[in-house]
Amino acid sequence: MSEPRPVPALTATSPWDTTGYWGPTDPEQHPAVRLVRERFPDAFREATVFRDEMTIRVDRRALRDVVEFLRTHPELRYNHLTDITAVDMLYLRERPRFDVVVQLYSIPRRQRLRVKCGVDDGETVPSLVPIFAGANWLERECYDMFGIVFEGHPDLRRILLPEDWDEGHPLRKDYPLRGYRDYVQPGFESPAPRIRGTLRRPGP
Amino acid sequence: MIDFSQPTPVILSEVRQLTPTRRELVLNMGPQHPSTHGVLRVRLTLEGETVIACDPVIGYLHRGVEKLGESHRYAQFVPWTDRTDYVAAPSNNLGYVLAVEKLCGIQAPERAQYWRMIMAELARLASHLVWLGTHALDIGALSVSLYTFRDRELILDIFEKFCGARLTTNMMEIGGFSREIPPDLPEMVREFCRYFPKAIRQYEDLLTENPIWLARTKGVGIIEPDVAINYGLTGACLRGSGVNYDVRKAMPYLLYDRVEFDVPLGTHGDVYDRYLVRIEEMRQSIRIIEQCLEQVPTDGPLMAYESQYVIPPHKNVMTTAEDMQRHFIWVIKGFSPPKGEVYHAVEHSKGELGYYIVSDGSPIPYRLRIRSPDFVNLQSLPYMAQGAMLADIVALIGTIDIVLGSVDR
Repeated sequence: MSEPRPVPALTATSPWDTTGYWGPTDPEQHPAVRLVRERFPDAFREATVFRDEMTIRVDRRALRDVVEFLRTHPELRYNHLTDITAVDMLYLRERPRFDVVVQLYSIPRRQRLRVKCGVDDGETVPSLVPIFAGANWLERECYDMFGIVFEGHPDLRRILLPEDWDEGHPLRKDYPLRGYRDYVQPGFESPAPRIRGTLRRPGP
Repeated sequence: MIDFSQPTPVILSEVRQLTPTRRELVLNMGPQHPSTHGVLRVRLTLEGETVIACDPVIGYLHRGVEKLGESHRYAQFVPWTDRTDYVAAPSNNLGYVLAVEKLCGIQAPERAQYWRMIMAELARLASHLVWLGTHALDIGALSVSLYTFRDRELILDIFEKFCGARLTTNMMEIGGFSREIPPDLPEMVREFCRYFPKAIRQYEDLLTENPIWLARTKGVGIIEPDVAINYGLTGACLRGSGVNYDVRKAMPYLLYDRVEFDVPLGTHGDVYDRYLVRIEEMRQSIRIIEQCLEQVPTDGPLMAYESQYVIPPHKNVMTTAEDMQRHFIWVIKGFSPPKGEVYHAVEHSKGELGYYIVSDGSPIPYRLRIRSPDFVNLQSLPYMAQGAMLADIVALIGTIDIVLGSVDR
């Protein structure tokens, strides 16, 4: 048996200390916040921090320009698109209805950033496919699940649901958990009973 | 090495409409094809035996896991994460509980973190063994799958000893582990670590210098580093192209900054390099497990019981009134994390598995997003398949290492 190796000290000082992973926690000192605010003074909305995670909110029309700026700027280089998703804010605020959430990661700088934009029903978001090839399916899933239209997407159609799905977009908050239709299982005469009421509390 | 001083170029793959001309043929592969690893369907446009367009059709296993997550309480969702990527269930549990713990601001005790690392690495081994067996089986090496599934049984035995289940383990809990580690489990894991390097040599004897294997994998499905980054690939698909990004190294979670391990990188970015990367990853996982077993404290708490977000200890529930009431509230109403949003990523066996949770302060997540690695990785299939031979498609599907439960969610 070899000698047990000495245990080095934990580098993280607090349980959720991810300061280095998301950059400085003060928005004023964060390079991405500073540079985006300088470059897009009209489109920049706010920068928020929760659990050290930096989120930039921009105008939806400028989303592609902002992401392209973040990708190419030599000080930022957010060159890895981690995720595109959306949140239906129906219970949380009046308008706009959705938040499109883009998670970016910089491989050389080892830093994450989240970019958000609000979009209402019937409005479009510029597609990120001209910048990131990986945005293709993520935006298709977003369209499939929320009905958000990405302008300039080369092939915007449903991806997880069947192409002829006519019941809307299931991750919207007003879509019932078990769908709109009653489904009779093979071997049963009547559909399974529905849960009365809603599991979710109405918003604050 | 890729030069990061310049922005990585954009890859614009031409979207080709699948309307065949007279010389072309549209071929449906799957969803019941044995080499599509589940229910993947690929629409191939062929000219002779050359693939000129490829359109993966997914969603045959879509169960709406994200919607289910938005209607379950936080602790109720842990078993659902098993069902997304069912060959590496502990890694999925881990990603979810770490995201919830970050949201709540709690941390599991040191001993639980070590055991989480051990279980996550064993899950990586189990997943890689399934991948290696089926990948070799697709290409024609039947006997490798017999060896890999033999050794996977040993890992599943460890899981069974630890938590009672073999496949859908539901192993991790928010705050740590509520069950004590079985006393003979460390010896069982040690025994496996002594045995497994020999098994890896057996697989390598069968494959690494096998001329048929080389002919089927070398130079097939090349992804250049720029393309891999632009497609957002993670895991062995990215590292096989030579880009050094491993979440365990780049952003260490748990106690990965206390163990030494190497991140293997490929050079050519073809199927063979990704095979080599995954084989080497298995060796590194054994290294991590051995170091964890050396460093893990033999006794100490396994659950962050002092937190309000954690289920009270079972013994106290049975003996004290306060904890019985707390337990009752915890089970019936759940717990309410603060308002906010977190994203936490772990290095899954297939790449970066991220959970993005938006909390509105109620016991149910307002939005629960699973960034599954193979959904994003599968996007590179049309890129790799263009101009490939029809017989190479099974090698390309195998090399991405997809599990349709995780792709479709």
